[in-house]
Amino acid sequence: MLAYLIRRLILAILTVWAISVLAFVIIQLPPGDYITSYIAQMSASGSFVTEQEADALREQYGLNKPVWVQYLRWMKLVLRGNFGIALEWQRPVAEVIGDRLWLTMVVSVAAVLLTWGLALPIGIYSAVRQYSVGDYLATFIGFIGLAVPSFLLALVLMYAGFKLFNANIGGLFSDQFVEAPWSLAKAWDLAKHLPLPALILGLAGTAQLIRIMRANLLDELRKPYVITARARGLPESRVILKYPVRVALNPFASTIGYLLPYVVSGSIIVSLVLSLPTVGPLLLRALVAQDMFLAGTIVLLLGVMTVIGTFLSDLLLMWIDPRIRTEGKR
Amino acid sequence: MSRHRKRVSRREFLRDAALATGGLTWAALSVDALAQAPAGGAPPKLGAQLIGKLEGPELVLDPAKWPKKFSEAPMLAELVKAGKLPPVEKRLPEDLLVIKPLQGIGRYGGTWRRGFTGPGDVENGNRIVSTDKILFWDYTGTKVMPCIAKDWKVSDDGRSVTIHLRKGHKWSDGHPFTADDFVFWYQDIYSNKDIQPVPHPDFMIGGKPGALRKVDATTVVFEFPDPNYLFLDILAGSTGMGGGMASQTWLGRTMGAYMPAHYLKQFHPKYTSKDELDKKVKEAGVDGWVSLIKQRWEWRLNPDLPVLGPWKTVSPNNTPTWALERNPYFYEVDTAGNQLPYLDRISMGLAENLEVLNLRAIAGQYDLQERHTSMAKIPVFLENRDKGNYELYLDPALNGSDATLQINHAYEADPEVAKWLHNRDFRRALSMGIERDQLNETFWLGIGVPGSVAPSETVPYSPGPEWRKKWSSYDPAQSNQLLDKIGLPKKDGEGYRLRTDGKGRLRIELQTSAGAFVPHTQIAEMIKEQWKKIGIQADPKETERSLFFTRVAGNEHQIALWANDGSEVLYLFPRHALPVDPAEALMGHPLARWYASNGAQGKKPTDPQLLKAMELMRSAGGKKTEERYKIAQEIFKIIVDEQLSIGTVGQSPATMGVRVVSRKLGNIPSREINAQHCRTPCSSHPETFYYKA
Amino acid sequence: MSVASQWQLMWWRFRRHRVAMAGTAVVVAFYAVVVLADFLAYASPTASEAQRSLLPPQAIHWLADGRFRPHVYALQGARDPVSLKRVYRPDPTRKIPVTLFGRGFSYRLLGLIPTDRHLFAVDAVRAEDTLFLLGTDEQGRDLWSRLVYATQTSLTIGLCGVAMSLVLGVLLGGISGFYGGAVDTVIQRIIEIFRSIPTIPLWMGLAAALPNDWSVLRVYFAITVIISLIGWTELARVVRGRFLSLREEEFVMAAELAGCSRTRIILSHLVPSFLSHIIAATTLAIPAMVISETSLSFLGLGLRPPAISWGVLLQQAQNVQALAISPWLLIPAVPVIVVIIACNFMGDGLRDAADPY
Repeated sequence: MLAYLIRRLILAILTVWAISVLAFVIIQLPPGDYITSYIAQMSASGSFVTEQEADALREQYGLNKPVWVQYLRWMKLVLRGNFGIALEWQRPVAEVIGDRLWLTMVVSVAAVLLTWGLALPIGIYSAVRQYSVGDYLATFIGFIGLAVPSFLLALVLMYAGFKLFNANIGGLFSDQFVEAPWSLAKAWDLAKHLPLPALILGLAGTAQLIRIMRANLLDELRKPYVITARARGLPESRVILKYPVRVALNPFASTIGYLLPYVVSGSIIVSLVLSLPTVGPLLLRALVAQDMFLAGTIVLLLGVMTVIGTFLSDLLLMWIDPRIRTEGKR
Repeated sequence: MSRHRKRVSRREFLRDAALATGGLTWAALSVDALAQAPAGGAPPKLGAQLIGKLEGPELVLDPAKWPKKFSEAPMLAELVKAGKLPPVEKRLPEDLLVIKPLQGIGRYGGTWRRGFTGPGDVENGNRIVSTDKILFWDYTGTKVMPCIAKDWKVSDDGRSVTIHLRKGHKWSDGHPFTADDFVFWYQDIYSNKDIQPVPHPDFMIGGKPGALRKVDATTVVFEFPDPNYLFLDILAGSTGMGGGMASQTWLGRTMGAYMPAHYLKQFHPKYTSKDELDKKVKEAGVDGWVSLIKQRWEWRLNPDLPVLGPWKTVSPNNTPTWALERNPYFYEVDTAGNQLPYLDRISMGLAENLEVLNLRAIAGQYDLQERHTSMAKIPVFLENRDKGNYELYLDPALNGSDATLQINHAYEADPEVAKWLHNRDFRRALSMGIERDQLNETFWLGIGVPGSVAPSETVPYSPGPEWRKKWSSYDPAQSNQLLDKIGLPKKDGEGYRLRTDGKGRLRIELQTSAGAFVPHTQIAEMIKEQWKKIGIQADPKETERSLFFTRVAGNEHQIALWANDGSEVLYLFPRHALPVDPAEALMGHPLARWYASNGAQGKKPTDPQLLKAMELMRSAGGKKTEERYKIAQEIFKIIVDEQLSIGTVGQSPATMGVRVVSRKLGNIPSREINAQHCRTPCSSHPETFYYKA
Repeated sequence: MSVASQWQLMWWRFRRHRVAMAGTAVVVAFYAVVVLADFLAYASPTASEAQRSLLPPQAIHWLADGRFRPHVYALQGARDPVSLKRVYRPDPTRKIPVTLFGRGFSYRLLGLIPTDRHLFAVDAVRAEDTLFLLGTDEQGRDLWSRLVYATQTSLTIGLCGVAMSLVLGVLLGGISGFYGGAVDTVIQRIIEIFRSIPTIPLWMGLAAALPNDWSVLRVYFAITVIISLIGWTELARVVRGRFLSLREEEFVMAAELAGCSRTRIILSHLVPSFLSHIIAATTLAIPAMVISETSLSFLGLGLRPPAISWGVLLQQAQNVQALAISPWLLIPAVPVIVVIIACNFMGDGLRDAADPY
């Protein structure tokens, strides 16, 4: 067991390193650099930069050095725990991401909870009352979330909220709470703003989960031990919930791993449309602006999360299902 | 407006809006519309009811008329009572700036809510505090007015400009503002090779650098080896020397001509020990004292920085709220002696995308927003006025064309295409093949003015009204004739002209970028359809904005679509009119490099007329105002006659001209000047805006 | 004794799943649209005209004088000077007859047969000026015709991406599962690396690195191919999993003992047993491709104008003025939703039919 763990750890580190290199390369692929993006932005906003100023900035930020030199510079900083300065934000990368990170997690966790909270009961109901009206209805609603492009849904709901309910437009806080220090009132304000983003983010995953839950549960319900339990006179709810549901939940263990990077990055598109202060839009801006350290750090973070997530779900699977444990010993 | 070409079916079944032929001929669009439609005669220009009269507050320059007693905002009065601030008489300079508000004396208090799009949206705040410029313009954008400088003098030979500062003027932390702040900037910042490796073009004439000299505590002289009459405009304009500290120091820029010496000395190696400085650098996490001082002198990032403008940052703009609060030492008062500004705070909320920003404006969540609002949404703004409790004003700009076809006169990659781009008749034919009224109706809601790149007739640089139409009216017959004549008569099966080198159809690439104020890609699509009738195939290619500029800098584009904003003050923003600035050379990067390096690098223009225009441009700096205007008119005549760049529709509110104003605000002009040099909205003096109730 | 083949068994099970059959019918109908695009469209999708800008959908009136004579009214339009919206008024005195299977612009059916017949057509006048079943966009271009061509583009390109993913996934997953050991570990690590790369940076980089003189469609095709290089990981894992378990089945041992070559075992014994899964997974990949295409157009990274696709059409409707004033611009979302749901039902049915136990 220990040997296995150590082996996985080494592989994980190698993977993360490979990701960092790939990330840096990809970010550098578009021609130009941060300064080109800066010039473009200035021009589009009705201001202008002279060429000398642009060159001086390039020199100052080391952007005129070859890619591998910049990569090594970044790696040196990363290994010391300092992720560099985000050029557009003029703040340390760690601060910029940190500001948004926990809010991202709140939104993502809310979305995940909503998804599971909706999908599991509906999935169970669908399986138990197969082919009923309720079954079809539930599946249909799930599909809406899956099929409607999320950016469109977000805009439509945001506009509807404004037109019909005078709701706040986008964002996670009302005006007066954005910069205010934390308090019960601010937390409640956040809670009031969460349903819309969580709903849109969650709907897409809901359909999948409903179907998987339903399929797994159906499989389990056909097994002999369920018939035995019924014959023994156990109440229906116990028959379903005590064993079949738990077994049906097994496959979810393998998907938990991939939730981790999602929780960290949130959904870029929905966050963009709803103007949520999360990591997703931050990554997109950084990529467009070719803000190397910021973009590279976020991508690295996502990579690390994925690797950790995969590792955790493999462990979880092994723990839950003894068959896999023994198979691994081949 | 010119008449369209009409086809039989269109005339029969889709009667053209009577707007082109005069008079609405059908009834009941809406009750209001009927009320507006005059009985016979030409209908009012579209959107006219939303365009007001150009007006604004005026400065009172006669000291005899200045108020003798002063008062201040309640929030400051409290601080004075608590002993934290000196009384208002001590905070104001002896040489005041007195302004007569547009409608009347205002009331203190309130927060102005706005939207901004991120740390890069610095202009959003810069333009509001532009009263930290040395000189400024009046609300018509035509007369130079005092600002930080109370007076100025240009020497007869044009070699020096003297400015007089205000006695008793103080920074926002109470420290005196004097000529020493200019000297500090000049000697310790501008002349320091670590910070400023090469001189800035705005402080040079004919390739030779200028110098700054202190005469006494309130007098500064700018001196040049050659006559530089343009320098006065540069000081008043939005340039490196005249833009004011707020706008000229962001993200590593080093200009503005003055800086708070008493505050910045602690970050400069000449005044601070190396150890002290190293400690500060380490604390800030930057890689050197240059990065540190550049961060510290940014007003948008550093709330501790002393400023001269009406508001100072309290919450930096790299956070979700960029908040500004009043400057207790601001040097301007109204005619009743109230120290300005009236509004206590400005609070800008971050909107990650433009739809959210516009929707918030529509919902009335902003009190005054003219930035990032889009023309296409005007009908939605109008619909929601009562719900959001705001008014909508349109401020047309003065530049000739919001979507200009900038032709790359240095293009080389495809010799056949290059040959035609260099051909004046080809360019004229392309221009006459564009049906500008169609573009105007579709993308500018009919509110713009179709024509060439020449600016509005109201600016002194305009060559005259006939130059808007020259080569810029829709005339496909003449287009086709010209194209046949110059050697492109052969067409393929679908009617497109063939290349003369036998390689098939002639294709012209139109490079566009996504996400500008005006939908350039869609405009290119429409032009592509229109050019079918003259047999030219256009290929619109949209790229992301910074890639667009990279390609331009790499001399890869054939024709690029961009605005020509700024060209209405030709000498202050020439880059959209001629290829003179390598940082943004849409008309040919090698040519701009040739111009900027005085012939040392780059490529000399081969087109004699383009060369003539550029040499005229170079000569203008040393000429007096009236002569400069004549030279500008000559330059524009050349540009339009040669169609060096092709204009489509301009003089519209597309850029910063759609102004949403809460009905609760007072002293709001019904029309404000929308031009680069006027730092819209600053020429309307936002410090005089107030809440009416 | 007659024995039903595995495929026949699958088909019988599939037939019983009514919803899946409905889904399949819909998908087939959409691909019919792909093939018959020119027939279904009646106007040029690029013909712009400012005086037709933002026309709402036009009603077809079916009866005239009590007889079945479908027609539409001619329209007059102007910009209301007060609201600054474009306003249109139908003229009931001018009836324009609409014919089914009438004559319109010429094209080649299936790329071969020259014809000028269209599903909808108008007599004696240009369809661009008179017929607007779904209204027009900002440039006055007919939305129905644009939607038909957008369907053609989106479904074709998505399919190619899926096909490439399929090939890669089966190949690499098969090798990984069949040979096991070190090969398996290496491929698994590669999969993990690929999965960790966020696709958006990759798209941005690639979109920018492609040559400027490629046509828009060619660029997107290239990008789709490259993205499929990442999408294959899911399929590879499934294939690998199946191979791992099937490897131990008796029939494989029997084949080995009987002396079949490795290749033969893979191709004629193992592959057919999980082909059904692959088909199901592929069908379910199409919705993912459609969503990717629309999302990437939204971000400005996918297809861009002047190309016409669902993503491009939706991107042009993704703004406040479309929602508030011209909501018919959102109609392209409907085929997107329908195709995705239909594909999901069809894929579900296939999966159930292939492996019900």
